[in-house]
Amino acid sequence: MKRSLGTRTEINDDGELAISVRNLHKSFKLPTEQSFGLKQAIFNRLRGIKGYREQKVLKGLDFDIKKGEFIGIVGRNGSGKSTLLKILAGIYYPEKGEIVVNGTLVPFIELGVGFNPELTGRENVYMNGALLGFSNEEMDKMYDDIWDFAELKDFQDQKLKNYSSGMQVRLAFSIAIRARGDILLLDEVLAVGDAAFQQKCEKYFEELKTKNQTVILVTHSMDNVRKYCNRAILIEDGKIAKEGNPGKIADAYLKLWS
Amino acid sequence: MSIPRVLNRKNRILLKELTKTDFKLRYQGSVLGYLWALLRPLMMFAILYIVFAKLLKIGGDIPHYPVYLLCGTTMWSFFTECTMQGIQAIVVRGDLLRKISFPKYIVVVSSTLTAVINMLINLVVIIIFALINGVTPSFSWLLAIPAIIELYLLSLGIAFLLGSINVKYRDITSIWEVLIQALFYAVPIIYPIAMVAETSTIAAKIILLNPIAQAIQDIRFSLITNETVTAWNYMDNHFLVIIPIIFVIAILIIGALIFRRKSKFFAEEV
Repeated sequence: MKRSLGTRTEINDDGELAISVRNLHKSFKLPTEQSFGLKQAIFNRLRGIKGYREQKVLKGLDFDIKKGEFIGIVGRNGSGKSTLLKILAGIYYPEKGEIVVNGTLVPFIELGVGFNPELTGRENVYMNGALLGFSNEEMDKMYDDIWDFAELKDFQDQKLKNYSSGMQVRLAFSIAIRARGDILLLDEVLAVGDAAFQQKCEKYFEELKTKNQTVILVTHSMDNVRKYCNRAILIEDGKIAKEGNPGKIADAYLKLWS
Repeated sequence: MSIPRVLNRKNRILLKELTKTDFKLRYQGSVLGYLWALLRPLMMFAILYIVFAKLLKIGGDIPHYPVYLLCGTTMWSFFTECTMQGIQAIVVRGDLLRKISFPKYIVVVSSTLTAVINMLINLVVIIIFALINGVTPSFSWLLAIPAIIELYLLSLGIAFLLGSINVKYRDITSIWEVLIQALFYAVPIIYPIAMVAETSTIAAKIILLNPIAQAIQDIRFSLITNETVTAWNYMDNHFLVIIPIIFVIAILIIGALIFRRKSKFFAEEV
């Protein structure tokens, strides 16, 4: 099965663009029946059945993101936002089109990636840090700050399975915000936690904004779009439906249901 | 993919941390913990020793037979563990693959490195046993290193090749489990190759050309006794030893190429 592929290139120059996307397409092959396994695959081949159906998720996206922009990407569930983010992050391959990423990119598709319930908080911090590219020595230096920020100091030698889900998120978040990159991709990561935690997130966002950090935020919170973004993109059915002023995009998003 | 990029700083950190985690998790929650890394192969050895050396009285002519057997079973366990862990690595770490972008070979290599650590610990035990058993230490011990590396590269090649198919067709894990059972008897670990040679020298030669057998016999030859029958000293034509070596290189290259091609879609398919 030969598949044609688009390209994703990483560069590092002084140009004003952080990300440029041209004619991006992506579709997934969804198994129509339980075609996992060799037996089914052979049967399907013999009967001439494909065994999957093609789901077009992104149907030709074009956009640019400048350095220092705080971009909001909004859209209904299933409109292709997360797929787009994963392609930008290099997790999925583009099927068609070109992507150029200028600078180092740090994705947060989910908080606490690689967290293991059987390991202690301490071990998980080092593991999660490694996934963000931090060495042991670098983690040693920020170790205390991470626990102070998460306000979980007393639990650092407990196994993660003994943490409440809120505590896990707090720990994951306080590691995540240490990550340094030219471009940050945030997927809905801040929709969790209690009021106090939400305040911390807001402070973090403010900080990103004042530092002119390039951020791509996928969210359903129109308050956040209005408050932090310089620009927003509304995705509908795998295409860009509207792009521009965050306030207008937020209104357009809310109108989708009226 | 150039070497400096493959081994860049970020990838090295990730490889180290994943290996550490794998190793910790393996013995998590067991009373004896890491000791199991030692106990498992020693127990397997004890069983095989009682059944084959004592009850069936095989291997009487081989000097230092108990250590010879232990060396064989340890290296076999290493091969089994490496391939089994390596083949399943992508599926086991599927969660990670779906959330961050990194070179996928790292999870395969990290999962096999746990087996490497276990093997090295056991190698120390073998050497202690060998010394107790009256084997004299010599520089020829160093010759075991290339043979161990060969065995590792073979395991890695198999892990890349079958691991990339296993993502879509999980049957591979089960098929390999059965195959490895069969392979165990095709390699002269519990029986001396001389036993086969009595009935058919051709069969003995074919068995020795299997890279697993060739590597394990070479390791025994350099560590335990130079009376070990190896592919090199058994073949009339020494040149034939190139066959298992070419096989290992071919598996590694084919495995790596297929893995590289398929790895682009692991995040979607796993």
